[in-house]
Amino acid sequence: MNIVLTLLPFASCIISFVFAFLVFKRYLARRGPHLLLWGIGMVMYGIGGFCEAFYGIFGWNPLVFRLWYLFGAMLVAAWLGQGTVYLLAKRKWANILMIILGVASVYGAIRVFGAQLDPTMMSSSLHTGSELSGRAITSGGVRILTPFFNLYGTVTLVGGAAYSIWIFWRKRILLHRVIGNIFIAIGALLPAFGGTFSRFGIGGALYISELLGAILLFIGFIRATTPMDESRE
Amino acid sequence: MTDDNRRASKGRRYPKLYEKLVPIALVVILVAIAVLLIVAVAVALGLFTGN
Repeated sequence: MNIVLTLLPFASCIISFVFAFLVFKRYLARRGPHLLLWGIGMVMYGIGGFCEAFYGIFGWNPLVFRLWYLFGAMLVAAWLGQGTVYLLAKRKWANILMIILGVASVYGAIRVFGAQLDPTMMSSSLHTGSELSGRAITSGGVRILTPFFNLYGTVTLVGGAAYSIWIFWRKRILLHRVIGNIFIAIGALLPAFGGTFSRFGIGGALYISELLGAILLFIGFIRATTPMDESRE
Repeated sequence: MTDDNRRASKGRRYPKLYEKLVPIALVVILVAIAVLLIVAVAVALGLFTGN
């Protein structure tokens, strides 16, 4: 067991669940589907981190691997992004996209849980943090789904944050939301880049980027929802 | 947004630091999105293996 590569995802898991709790709390107070979806997205983020920490200690088992792949690799970005869609898009379009995402997520879950896994990869003889991938899935037509979810998630979550930054900056209003959205955009980008670096065999890149991503998303959310005295900055 | 818009004034500026940093951050974010989109397309086309 590599202590660092176990503690990093565990820390991501804890931060994500705390973050999710605060978002759900805000949802109960204010409502708004974007908060509900961000909360669900952060729970998925936390599940992904938990599974990685589990892998660090015990190695993969089929259930934990499938949970990690479904929530941590496939769905998390898209569900977070869907929250941003509800925040920025017309409700009618947000609802249509939500239905598509919901159906696609159920389909993805069925495919992930029905997929054949390579039993030789359900262990942790090598644990550098760069071997996390869906290569253990040997059934066709499963891994190809993941980029589409992540593409949607990146465009909507990061693109939505960038759009908000632009709108507020152009009007020179709500500086706290501009700063918050910068953190959110960078926090959302980091795991995506971590995943890319991981593909190229850079050990630990995914774990570090996920932890920093969770921290920055958290900071961004707090900053964006806490007005500041702009004249003092 | 409507109330926020009403509060906005034409000559309003952010503090100097943010006037410089925000556009830089925005450009970096947009470039990063573009890079990720290219990678995602490459993955979908099977040019990279992995997730």
